[in-house]
Amino acid sequence: MLRFASILGFIILTITPTASCADSFSALIQPVFREHCTGCHGEEGKVKGKVNLFEIESLSSLAGHTELLQELVDVVEFQEMPPEDEPQLSGEVRAELLVELNRLLRNSVNEKKAYPQSPMRRMTRFQYSNAVEDLFDLKVTAFTLPEEMLREIKPYFNPATGVMPQEASVGCRPLGKSQLIQRRLGGVVAFPQDLRAEHGFDNRGDHLTLSPLLMESFLKLSRSIFESPDFNAKNCGKWQEWFADPGAEAGDLDDEFRSRIRSILYSAFRSDVDEATIDRYMELALAKTGSGMSFTETMKMIGSAALASPRFLYLYDKVNSSGESEAATDYELASRLSFFLWGSIPDKELLALADSGKLSDPATLRGQADRMLNHKKLKRFCDSFPSQWLQLDRLVSSLPDPEEHPEFYFAKFRVSMHMMLEPLLLFETVLIENRPVIELIDPDFSFRSDLLQSWYKTGKKGKSTPPTMIVYDRVPITDRREGGVITNAAVMTMTSNATRTQPITRGAWIGAVIFNDPPEPPPGDVPPLPEEPLHGEENMTLRERLDAHRERKDCKGCHAQIDPLGFAMENYGPTGLWRDTYENGREVDSGGVLFRKHSFNSPVEFKDAILAEKERFVSGFAGHILSFALGRELSPADSLALDSALDQCRDDDFQFRDIIKEIVMSEPFRYKSNFPDPSSVAQNP
Amino acid sequence: MIKTASRRTFLRGLGGSTLALPWLESIAAPRSKPMQRFALFYVPIGVVRKGFFPGEAEATVPKFAGGNGVPLKKPGIIEAGTHEWNLTPTQEPLAGIKDKMSFLSGLDRTYLQGTDVHAQCASCFLSSATPTSVKDSPYPLDRTLDHLIADSMGGETPFRSLEFSCNSHRDNKESIQFDNISWYGTGHVAPSIRDPRKAYERLFGVGEAKTYLNITDLVLEDAKAMQRNLGYRDREKFGEYFDSIRTIEEQISKLEKMRNKLSKVAIEEPPEAHLPRGEYIRLMGDLMVAALQAGLTQVATFMVGPERWDTPFTYDSLFDKPMSHHKMSHNQREFLDQLLELDRFHMEQFAYMAQKMDAIPEADGSTLLDNTLFTYGSGLGDGSTHQYSDLPIIVAGSGGGKFQSGKHIHFEKGTPLANLWLTQAQAMGSGMKRFADSSGILKQALV
Repeated sequence: MLRFASILGFIILTITPTASCADSFSALIQPVFREHCTGCHGEEGKVKGKVNLFEIESLSSLAGHTELLQELVDVVEFQEMPPEDEPQLSGEVRAELLVELNRLLRNSVNEKKAYPQSPMRRMTRFQYSNAVEDLFDLKVTAFTLPEEMLREIKPYFNPATGVMPQEASVGCRPLGKSQLIQRRLGGVVAFPQDLRAEHGFDNRGDHLTLSPLLMESFLKLSRSIFESPDFNAKNCGKWQEWFADPGAEAGDLDDEFRSRIRSILYSAFRSDVDEATIDRYMELALAKTGSGMSFTETMKMIGSAALASPRFLYLYDKVNSSGESEAATDYELASRLSFFLWGSIPDKELLALADSGKLSDPATLRGQADRMLNHKKLKRFCDSFPSQWLQLDRLVSSLPDPEEHPEFYFAKFRVSMHMMLEPLLLFETVLIENRPVIELIDPDFSFRSDLLQSWYKTGKKGKSTPPTMIVYDRVPITDRREGGVITNAAVMTMTSNATRTQPITRGAWIGAVIFNDPPEPPPGDVPPLPEEPLHGEENMTLRERLDAHRERKDCKGCHAQIDPLGFAMENYGPTGLWRDTYENGREVDSGGVLFRKHSFNSPVEFKDAILAEKERFVSGFAGHILSFALGRELSPADSLALDSALDQCRDDDFQFRDIIKEIVMSEPFRYKSNFPDPSSVAQNP
Repeated sequence: MIKTASRRTFLRGLGGSTLALPWLESIAAPRSKPMQRFALFYVPIGVVRKGFFPGEAEATVPKFAGGNGVPLKKPGIIEAGTHEWNLTPTQEPLAGIKDKMSFLSGLDRTYLQGTDVHAQCASCFLSSATPTSVKDSPYPLDRTLDHLIADSMGGETPFRSLEFSCNSHRDNKESIQFDNISWYGTGHVAPSIRDPRKAYERLFGVGEAKTYLNITDLVLEDAKAMQRNLGYRDREKFGEYFDSIRTIEEQISKLEKMRNKLSKVAIEEPPEAHLPRGEYIRLMGDLMVAALQAGLTQVATFMVGPERWDTPFTYDSLFDKPMSHHKMSHNQREFLDQLLELDRFHMEQFAYMAQKMDAIPEADGSTLLDNTLFTYGSGLGDGSTHQYSDLPIIVAGSGGGKFQSGKHIHFEKGTPLANLWLTQAQAMGSGMKRFADSSGILKQALV
């Protein structure tokens, strides 16, 4: 959960002396708690949301609770508390309270500077594939990734130009057969796909684990790569350097092996390799050649051992020297950068800079981030982050009722395959062209295929193109009801079921994706909405039918936040088409209030409301990116650091590349927290 | 590679779990009795109570009222105690083998607020955690029963346990908690094998694995060197690498010794073609039974499908147009017939596997099924109400004569499912005294 701290909080730069802090507690904080909070939060055994403010008797019992302080700041700033039907805080009190709480929060974080640890974790399938390609400079892909959504058929992705072309020829058949068209190493079978976390990405450290079954797959995989008939001089850019038999020209065979092994391991392990390790691999090499194995086969075996080694498979940082967060080493930084922006191991240039100790120099680091953002390998970031961020995998299994939506289907395909790429191409454009990220919400352009254009205009697919290759044109968006990552057919379809829209699902999606504030899971005994309206409800709108379940007090709390977001989208039917009325003739009511501050009466006004809360979106979005970069969830310390990073981007209206660069320069990205033992651990987090 | 008895070779949970399992010395007595097995057949999304539970045939189909903690059935439909077992419609496929199994009803689980109902019911079905024992995860999930039982066995078999699943992964939208019932520890999933050909190769494949031994030594050394540079939390997690490699090495060496015996097991290599669902499930079932028969493992879990499976599916043999199991389960009234058909379909597969086991003779004249505890169960008592109480449980086999057969036993209100697991674990020879929130063993289920 990530928020943008109040601007007032920034005014407090120094750590205030304890005396005045204690005063502010007894003079301001505690009275507010007693008057407005403890009635539900602590008194008489009532501890709603497990937050107990009654038992906080003094400053010291509040000061160390970073998580609680962050929560308090959030609910006060965004006026989520006190609840709507209770007496509110006056504007003045609210402002003062925020100042104090933010001060406490900063103190609490600054006292023991510690960010959470990014746990060591194995590579995901996606990263492994990229790493093998990069390591051996393959001209083909190592193994196909059927889950891939956006396939570049004709090359269009060129970030160095700073421009997306007017047209992109791409393919889309996730989990379909088009991967057979892609050139790859024959005979290689990958391990299963890593699924994304419930609220996170597939690179989450705490979700990626190893088991004997999986390790067997890795062993098999590493062998099959080298045994593939396509792993040869033609397809492997490193063949000459590493695998080709030196023949008669070679001097001492030992030296030859040694230097090649050193080179492979250095690149594969992306760090210094000590002599003892090289000795080990030499032993294997000599044993194999000794028993008659050819030079090339021996080197392939070395390659396969390197790929099975934990030093290749795992992303990790070496242990800290103390119990406080400290700067990561240059090699560690190189890997963080490359796995973040290229989904793969660092390249020669990064390793060279790490080797010379120059990478952590701020100017160099920034320069490298720039270089990487200009490189075509940035496509890996675009192949991994946006589809997970937007949860587009949900679209793959969306099947609107064929009887009600026959136009959705054609041949073996579905319109959703065309829909899926619209938000992805938008994302790539905002990134490549370094646009302000708010354009993800309300852009004046989009990328659409002919089929998709026809769909939006007429609800019919027109000329149906099989998704093995589709041409997407850059088109202007003049009707603000369209375009952006929210109001597009892909998202609207995947947040509906076979026969109707699901406003609560949409609301939850908007909360999680757009504001990085996913709702809690529902309690176990929630009744569903019957598919057919009950007797007497036939004439109701969907909103009216759902009103009934918001009568329960314990449901209101969450649903007051979730529902308005989803109902704002009610004009978009289950396949993303605009509608003014329901089937029963009633008009769609898409009005509501955002964050209790901005009222809206239509999706366009809803977008305006989001634009009015731009920094909240930016902050949430940057949080998603930081979480992806770190492979873990964020803590209050991370949030504060992120706020400072975003400060640097405000003048230029939060352009995408700038945000990424500032994230790279931020402390959470550059620091590590691998404490040597539990006793040395600082109090935070 | 000699392993000392005191070293932990089993996979541990993550995050410095304080789950200190006693390392039980394997008692190397000569085998007087056939090897005992534990197997589980997990059915997702519960059942339609009307068709499964006696006395509820005339009950109104739930409108989704009630739920966890709210008693659904009217008190007094079934009395606690042992009854004659008359097969209900969903149970009819068991007709030919009913006298080798028992129907247990009235067992409950606790649902912990804070996670999805479906995710918790699958991932925690076999969990050894109590509702309060896990601090850093919203799931009360810790090392699952199958691994704990495997821990207590002698470690003679090449595979300590096998995990099968019939989730053919046509889509990829659920997170791991919906998709897995077997866990090494909190957050550490024991992934299952879903592809019949891969399963076959893993179990019966010819010696390819041996070639890995070349590099396992090497990479283990890399791992040891690497470990010296890790922080304390990472060192814990990194244990998974060592354990994985060592497990594979042991597996390979044991499989080698069994080559001859394995070549006598009658199972054909699965075809490449895409199979209709029923055939697919039965094929995976054949592989599991063969593995148990051949002594490749003593512990196996079989997850028929993921929880909350939303994806519309024809279940090939069953429906004309794609139906979503989960969606149907929320509307029992509209889809009553289809759901009952689906429940029966799953029961048919369970019956098939049990019958197959019962057709395999052991040296002493008993059958494989007699020496197994093969349980059919689901984490929900009803797919519509999402209740965690009064779960559908059928135990096939007697675990070497220990469990009652041919009866319907209804347990008193509030009897934890964990009691059944504890009873089964003890029957398998484990010394455990408690499991999750167990309050004792189910004496009535025992002979």
